[in-house]
Amino acid sequence: MGICHQDRTLREIVDEREQSFKDTGCAYGLERLELVEEDPAKFMRFQMRLVASCINARESAKLISANPMSMIQGELLFMLANAEGDVVSASYGLAGHIQCMPFIVRNIAKLGFEDDPGIHEGDIFSVNDPMYGPPHNADCYTFLPVFYKGELVSWTVGLNHIVDVGGIQPGGLGVISPNVFTDGFTYPPTKTGANFKQHKWWELHWKRRTRTEMFNVLDDKMRAAGVVSLHDRIQDVIEEFGIEYYRKGLKEIIERERRILVERIRTLAVPGKYTYLQLSAVNYKGTLGRLWPASNRNWIIHKTGELNIRTDGTLLTDLEGLTSEGDFHANAYEPAVRMLTSLGMWPMFAYTETINSSLLYMTDWNIPPGSMFNPQNPYAGTVMGLGVTAGYIFLFHNCLSLAYFSRGFLEEAFPQDGTTIGYGVAGMLEDGFQWAGGDMSLITCQSEAATPFHDGIDAAICSPNPAPDIGETEAVEFLMPTQVNIGKKLIPDFCGHGKFRGGLGIGMLQMVNKPGRSLIINAFAATDGMGACAMGRSGGYPGTNDIVVFAHDTNIREILENGGTYPRDFVEMKEWFQQGILKAESVESFKGPTPSIPCRDGDLFATAAGSKGGWGDVLERDYDLIEYDIKYGWITIKTAETVYGAKIDENGTVQKEASDKVRQAMREKRKERSVDAKDWWRQERERVLEGGWHEDIRNMFLDCLKYKKFRDQFLGMWQLPEDYSL
Amino acid sequence: MKDSDDGFSKKNLQRLIDGNLPWEEVKKAIRLSPKDANRFTKYLELLQANVPWDDRILLRISDHLYIVSKEKGGRIVKCDCGQELGDYRINWKLSCRIYVRRTDEEMAEVITIPEARHNTDLVEMREFYCPGCYALLGVEVVPSGYPPMFEMLPDIDNFYREWLGSPLDDESKDWFQDKTLEKPAAWMKEG
Repeated sequence: MGICHQDRTLREIVDEREQSFKDTGCAYGLERLELVEEDPAKFMRFQMRLVASCINARESAKLISANPMSMIQGELLFMLANAEGDVVSASYGLAGHIQCMPFIVRNIAKLGFEDDPGIHEGDIFSVNDPMYGPPHNADCYTFLPVFYKGELVSWTVGLNHIVDVGGIQPGGLGVISPNVFTDGFTYPPTKTGANFKQHKWWELHWKRRTRTEMFNVLDDKMRAAGVVSLHDRIQDVIEEFGIEYYRKGLKEIIERERRILVERIRTLAVPGKYTYLQLSAVNYKGTLGRLWPASNRNWIIHKTGELNIRTDGTLLTDLEGLTSEGDFHANAYEPAVRMLTSLGMWPMFAYTETINSSLLYMTDWNIPPGSMFNPQNPYAGTVMGLGVTAGYIFLFHNCLSLAYFSRGFLEEAFPQDGTTIGYGVAGMLEDGFQWAGGDMSLITCQSEAATPFHDGIDAAICSPNPAPDIGETEAVEFLMPTQVNIGKKLIPDFCGHGKFRGGLGIGMLQMVNKPGRSLIINAFAATDGMGACAMGRSGGYPGTNDIVVFAHDTNIREILENGGTYPRDFVEMKEWFQQGILKAESVESFKGPTPSIPCRDGDLFATAAGSKGGWGDVLERDYDLIEYDIKYGWITIKTAETVYGAKIDENGTVQKEASDKVRQAMREKRKERSVDAKDWWRQERERVLEGGWHEDIRNMFLDCLKYKKFRDQFLGMWQLPEDYSL
Repeated sequence: MKDSDDGFSKKNLQRLIDGNLPWEEVKKAIRLSPKDANRFTKYLELLQANVPWDDRILLRISDHLYIVSKEKGGRIVKCDCGQELGDYRINWKLSCRIYVRRTDEEMAEVITIPEARHNTDLVEMREFYCPGCYALLGVEVVPSGYPPMFEMLPDIDNFYREWLGSPLDDESKDWFQDKTLEKPAAWMKEG
């Protein structure tokens, strides 16, 4: 006898969920929405009660956390799922995670959890292992079954991004890990509590397996408190509306919203095929030595994708040609892909009364086995696969923006690029206290890319989280006192240019303050010297690169002690070096993620990210917009002239006649130095035949050519024989 | 507001296209629910009036480019300057003038912060210009030898028939086919 409705087992209802959709095309086979049709106001009240319950759980539980990402940067989520695992309601926060819960429930059903270890009222379950549903092990899930008179009717779920996962690099965004054994503390679905309380032994795991025990134990308590609180509120909702209404209502939410999403695509878009590409890298060569020989190399990550907007309003995303799985940290499983890419779908079309997993019913994926998002090696490292799946958020932003632009809904175009930086730190203070931390300021607040009708708005959005919040610098400094922020600002010229330019990237400059016996810093970044997107939009230049600079053994303390001012970002830091005011023994620069860098007192750590792409031809940029940029210092006079062809006088005014002539000359230059496509093709074909690529690019092509779709395109474009090989 | 505007006036749509609709009005357009059902019709009327030629616009695919129906048959990509870029099923980039930035110095013309520039050991920057007006139509940052990306192949017949309810006269299953590779094949034959 099962624990679900009409004595069915969890496995049975999960299978029925999938089968009924396959048979009817409607979630749960619901061809009619009876509750919605009978009394829409009541249904809305029901739905809002569920949303309010989730938000209440989040807002009360997060006060237990000490982790700045949860407390002030919104890196958490509480949600309600039905017995089958479909999320029907959620708080605000890390919205993408609602996509994962159906996978988690499906997995525990298949694992036979109903029999062993059993699923009972008050049991608390935990999971962060990506093979079973969560996207990466920094995102820790706690979930609790909701029973009504002995029947499993729901799950309450809480998750947050923890500070440190106990991997070989500190923090939760490690960029080095050859396999699951170096990913850190990774636990498959586990019963970790009973009678609505976590077991005491569970704390020991956080204390022994991660670096930030205080943060992580409190985060665990936060999640547990939230799911218990939500559980109690849901019991009230069931009492108010009745169990029949509750059970059926949750299913109707999914089907109703599936229909809304399909209709929205049909209303706003144009069916067809849309192409996307972003290139990034994993650079391990020389870092791991002989310990992991298979990882002693670099990879160019080929994030290719084709969005198919189908005539029925559903979406198929084809990832054939994606880089193969590797001995690196960046592999991922389907739930991670579903989770993170949904963050490109919420803002583009999936905004409804509540966020929920109806998206799963209208989005299909082709993820070839053996690719890095469908690894066949069960020990594939996944600690930061999320960083690569994040690139595909922007597939939806960019492809759908083009589709909406074509349809005439320019106001809905919201293209974006993948650029962002976070970092982890770990060390031992002078008194022997071991500690670690992490900061996501530049991830949690970014500027916007240009749209077809305006410049990107600065410091306005957060692609991985619908609630962007850069957090409070003081709180970060309190929790990580070695990281003193001496600058955080928009950086002039740091954007993709265009008729409308991207929002400016944000830079931070930190001084390392009294780290004690040791301190290492490692930065995660989304680009690797190949830009934030491989394609510009309508002739606009794509976003550029993330920047990380370490300046070691500087004289900044001397400058401060003499009462001087200080630089605020990497650009100013460089100017100070050139002027001889600031001195450093050594400087390390990166255009992407970094290994773990040892730092000492007075070192400077500069990061800059979020240079977003432009839209349209730079030579069509309105002179008034250029004057505005000059006035506020967003664009330098040099850039106004060299990029935009605008002559600026001493008052910051565009000299229009002179500028018209400059622009005409720039168009003439385009004519002179460009070639016909056929000539370009001939020259490019010769280069392909010569094959003189950089080793990393050559390896990328070698890998991509294993996939038929890319091989056909490559061979066809360059007219190469079927047996071509590099 | 006129009924025919269906909640969003043609005048405001023109301002949106021109990039000078006030932000408050843009927000109203974003919040409009349901959206104006005749938006595409209004869009086409405005676009058609803005171009100096008469070929019927079927779809706009970038700031300057349109898929148009030719009176004598065929659907091609056409720039607003009048330059024709061939069958829309073939990537229009293969009908452009092309300039490639391969050095840091060449990149510096469009990315003025040195640290933000692309690694020229790995990628190049391709610029695709209209051969008629030399407007910059597209930019790619890819390794040398990477096939040009076909940004969009619309399913025009199904769009007009199923979504707009006004099927086109020259419907054919052959329209929704990527024929890009026919062009390099032809170039190869030409030698």
